[in-house]
Amino acid sequence: MSKKAYNEEWIFNRLVQDTARRWGKSGLLTAEQVQAIRPAFPSGFYEPHLFIRIALFIFTWIANITAAGLVFLAVMGIGEYRSGSEEARVLLGCLLCGGGSLLLLERLISTNHLYRSGVDNALLYLGVSYLVVALVISYSLLLPHTVDIDDLQELGLQWPLLVLLAGAMLLAIVRYADPLAAALAFLLYLDIVGVVVLRLPLGKALLPFALMLACAGSYWVLQRLTRRPDYLYYRPAVRTVKALTLACFYLAGNYLMVREGNALLNNQDVSTQIPFAPLFYLFTVGIPLLYLYQGLRRADRLVLYAGLLSLAFSIFTYRFYRSVLPPEWALTLGGVFLIALSGWALRYLRPARHGLTSEPADSPSAFSQLNLESLVMAHVTETTMQPHEPGFQFGGGSSGGGGAEGQY
Amino acid sequence: MTDKILGVLRSLHLLSAEQAETIRVYERNKPFSLYYELRTLLSLGVTLLSTGLGLLIYKNIDSLGHGVIVALIALLSAAGFAYAHRQRQPFTWQAARNSASADYALLLGCLTLLTLLGYLQYQYDVFGTRYGLLVLLPTLVFFGCAYRFDHRGVLSMAITGLAAWVGVSIAPVSAFTSNNYALPHLDAVAIVLGLGLAAVGLASERYDRKKHFGYTYLLLGSNLALVALLTTMFRNSFEPGFLPPVLAALLIIGLSAALYWYARRTHSYVFVLLGALYGYIAVTYLYFQLAELDRDFEVTGFVYFPLSTVAVILLLLNLKKIVGSHEQEGV
Repeated sequence: MSKKAYNEEWIFNRLVQDTARRWGKSGLLTAEQVQAIRPAFPSGFYEPHLFIRIALFIFTWIANITAAGLVFLAVMGIGEYRSGSEEARVLLGCLLCGGGSLLLLERLISTNHLYRSGVDNALLYLGVSYLVVALVISYSLLLPHTVDIDDLQELGLQWPLLVLLAGAMLLAIVRYADPLAAALAFLLYLDIVGVVVLRLPLGKALLPFALMLACAGSYWVLQRLTRRPDYLYYRPAVRTVKALTLACFYLAGNYLMVREGNALLNNQDVSTQIPFAPLFYLFTVGIPLLYLYQGLRRADRLVLYAGLLSLAFSIFTYRFYRSVLPPEWALTLGGVFLIALSGWALRYLRPARHGLTSEPADSPSAFSQLNLESLVMAHVTETTMQPHEPGFQFGGGSSGGGGAEGQY
Repeated sequence: MTDKILGVLRSLHLLSAEQAETIRVYERNKPFSLYYELRTLLSLGVTLLSTGLGLLIYKNIDSLGHGVIVALIALLSAAGFAYAHRQRQPFTWQAARNSASADYALLLGCLTLLTLLGYLQYQYDVFGTRYGLLVLLPTLVFFGCAYRFDHRGVLSMAITGLAAWVGVSIAPVSAFTSNNYALPHLDAVAIVLGLGLAAVGLASERYDRKKHFGYTYLLLGSNLALVALLTTMFRNSFEPGFLPPVLAALLIIGLSAALYWYARRTHSYVFVLLGALYGYIAVTYLYFQLAELDRDFEVTGFVYFPLSTVAVILLLLNLKKIVGSHEQEGV
């Protein structure tokens, strides 16, 4: 049996087809060539439209949960009842459901050629969840009875459990390359680092630095992974973890997070100034700028978005502690600045300069294809056109200050 | 990755050496497009600016005076409409090719028109107690503009206005949250309006009159009708209402089938999702109504959910065979 659940060749063929179509649109390939490439690189995956996937996911979820309910009923009902056997029975039920879900998943992938089509996502998530519950139960069964599950951190027994869970996630990633499992594995990894560091004597002071280091390490590992020959198979998972790594690296060094987190760990009601504050100011300002620069220079959209979002959060951090401008002026000036900046960039970067352009790319992003305008307009209008009830004073709603109360 | 793809294509002789070299150079020198990012920043800036200006006016209203503000808003609205009018395309029942700036100008004109009317009513009580007129007037203007200038955004504003005129919230989320269907007649009004809008949408698709408007009509209308029918179905099984619950369930199934027909024609798969979810709930309801007649219904209840959901999944999995594959991506 292959190590990978999905057909690797088809994943590559998909990419070839998409790339050929893109090149065809840009006039680099003739239409006949694009036509000839399609049958040469077949992909037999069943990949329905997004909304069908959602429907499939929901119905598979219901089917699996209700079927699992029957299994648990059977497991709880068989044999004679002895006190203390509930945990073992739940364990048995979880193992049966988890194993069954994964077996079904394997069968469906090989017979129906599913590829992230809702059914396989739901079966994978539920199957792994049952097994994770089974893992937690077995871990608590191994511990002596006197230990409460909530005291694990004080006893230093929490990290082995987390390592076990992360190991389970890793197995799921190796086989299914699932982005959600990858995200969970990454968060578990950070959790393990946090749990271990907090048990050190200087743990609370070191925590931000340890987390930043952990993120830097994971970024390094990810860069190594992109050079693997089977990177394409894991690309969605790697990109997800990369986005999370960038976000967590920034947040671990962000002044607001460090200060409020410090207050939380020390049970302070009001957060106070933290040691090494200037260093964290530097991180808060510097990391977004670094992301923006790197994102633009390396043409990496993920890093660019991380930069934009973290910059916005840095501004929020600043305004959280210092009120410089009244909000209406901040909004107005910010708006003017953004309009001026983007307007200037739209003109300046047409035609392309410094490897950047403001013209649409040859591959429009998936987001631009959704027609969200109708929905947004309906919601925007509704705030101004509230349905009225008889005898209720129509107050103009929130239309541009029209609903203002008070005397003039 | 580019090199790998080019290598495979070359080895299968699907590509000449010059072409491969051209593509390699193209991919290496391809500029990084910031089109959507800059557009997003621009619209974010417009939103911030308009909110900030609104707040500024609100805080300084004593020194400015109402007349000035009304004049400003009216001017802005008129400018939007005037620009859209100057850039107009000849009327057609098909999709017209509008310039983006004209579309935005029309949207600006319509939004500020709403603000203007609300302001006039609040400050000068222009419409008195005829609140209906206050909503109906812009609604009619919006319907006219939507069809004349071929604008789907303005069409949804018009539909929202129509719904507000009869007293319901129609926006997809508000249809769940802000309507109290227990109010007398509101459920009936919502059902009739929703079914009516859905019918208009289906008709515009069927008779090729502004086909692309069908999506907006059907999405807003069917969602409202389905939510209202669903609440009616559950509530009327406890207290008798104007619509017997079984009839409501049958109406849901019928509407789901209509949505499915539309989705098949236009490849708008969001309607398959809506139809499958609501249709399943209605069928389940009917099933348990039937099962109540029988004593052994508890046992079938356990098996019903796994079996029926598996049936739905099989139906959806084989959708492609039923619907027929199509290259075009719909929403």
